[in-house]
Amino acid sequence: MSDFLALILQQSINGIYLGCLYVLVALGLTLIYGVMNQINFAHADFVTVGAFAAFFSATRLFTKWMGMSDGTGYVLSIFMALAAGALLGLLVNAAVFAPLRNRSDELRPLIATIGVSVLLENAQLILFGPIPFQFDSPFAQNTIRFGKIFFSEQSVLVVIVAALAIGGLYSFMKFTFLGKALRAVSQDRETAGLMGINENFLIALTIVIASALAGMAGALLGPVIVLTPFAGASVIVKAFAIVIIGGFGNMEGTIIAGILVGIIEAFTVQYLGSGVIDLVVFVLLLFMLVVKPTGLIAERREENV
Amino acid sequence: MAALLQVEGIELAYGDVAACRDISFTVNEGEIVTLVGSNGAGKSTTLRGVAGAMRPRRGRILFRGNDVTRMRSHERLLAGIALVPEGRKVFPFLSVRENLEMGGFRYRGDKARVNSLIERMMDTFPRLRERSAQRAGTLSGGEQQMLALCRALMSEPVLLCMDEPSLGLAPIIVQEIFRSIRDVNRAGTSVLLVEQNARYALETASRGYVLQTGSIIAEGSCEALKHDERVKEAYLGRS
Repeated sequence: MSDFLALILQQSINGIYLGCLYVLVALGLTLIYGVMNQINFAHADFVTVGAFAAFFSATRLFTKWMGMSDGTGYVLSIFMALAAGALLGLLVNAAVFAPLRNRSDELRPLIATIGVSVLLENAQLILFGPIPFQFDSPFAQNTIRFGKIFFSEQSVLVVIVAALAIGGLYSFMKFTFLGKALRAVSQDRETAGLMGINENFLIALTIVIASALAGMAGALLGPVIVLTPFAGASVIVKAFAIVIIGGFGNMEGTIIAGILVGIIEAFTVQYLGSGVIDLVVFVLLLFMLVVKPTGLIAERREENV
Repeated sequence: MAALLQVEGIELAYGDVAACRDISFTVNEGEIVTLVGSNGAGKSTTLRGVAGAMRPRRGRILFRGNDVTRMRSHERLLAGIALVPEGRKVFPFLSVRENLEMGGFRYRGDKARVNSLIERMMDTFPRLRERSAQRAGTLSGGEQQMLALCRALMSEPVLLCMDEPSLGLAPIIVQEIFRSIRDVNRAGTSVLLVEQNARYALETASRGYVLQTGSIIAEGSCEALKHDERVKEAYLGRS
């Protein structure tokens, strides 16, 4: 294999790994927007909460206290982060989204989510302090090698977990009654109600799924970001860009855009240096907004008379 | 005969603006009842109130003797009220089949029942079978109206509410739709029909109410209404 081909393959793999992480974060944003027309500004903090939940269960609960191996501990901690995210979603829905819904006012919940964000960040600041935690994945040091291509076991784990989560969500939305009902609610909430679909339950379900994905992303991101109470902020801006590039509220578009941004980022690091990543991503975003403002796949309320 | 649906003095409003005031009417078991009136008379609003898409400010709605005034739309569907909304409102990005499945959402635990209902709908309207995998948003207006009707029938309603089924459709398709409505009624479903095209409505229904600017101004058998001077002048044109 030529060096050039190996390089392309290597960076594509790195890009897919990064993209998977972004997709997990961005899917939650897009799901909530699709179903409720709301942007959850606390989403980044759900990621942080997931990262801390994973950190403490991987380095303390499962290993030190329950005596499991580091590897098992980390894998199980991903589920802890998922559960922490889901629980947080349930709470935020009950405390913020549900009481503020049906007031035909989209601004109030939006501002409330900023409040949730401030609350979560400061609560974590009190609990964990501002000094970054060292969250090492036991899989990060072991590399797998194919000829000239290297990747860590951690990235394999990330891709597998993300693929399972994304594939699971995708099949849920495509093949189950509840998933189809979710899409129905996102296309026309009032008519969905007329079909006997309890939209409040489905909206709660959406928030829980979105938050669980964010929590899970936190567990996978934990070892690669600077783990402080503000850690989620480092990925959320890119996640927003991905959601816009993919077409706000569209799941397939978000998945494609997320992987695409991951791959672009990997090649940018290779050829232009890591300093210009954000520049390249946002130039892409601007380009999309000019050329196709509806995003890669537009599936918003179009006229259908 | 006991009234299936009894609407007692409901008032419906968008924000502070009342669209209907003091509306009372009944639908008996097995009947087709129509609400006619010009644009903006409050017909669709009344129907939305019956189906639970809007909550009345005043008055109450009894269905099979139970007070359903406070029930939300998904609960009213379970009680047996289905609405074919104005403008059809099919889910544009779901396939035709998925739209029908959503209509049968109440039977989601019973796949066999949903499938047999879908088969029945597709036997009645073979066009839906041809287009079963197509996105509903790509159908023609007439096909969408048939889909919306079948979607509502998927819940096997006791009372079928139809909001402006003729809107924007070619006369030949309108005739087909109205034929279907009569078939549905003959099969035992009561129908509450809101229609701007008074001629079609009065020919299809057995009793009717005439709405004007949010109030009922006349009621009676459709035969009688057809000869009512006010109705003739306002909605049928002199012939």
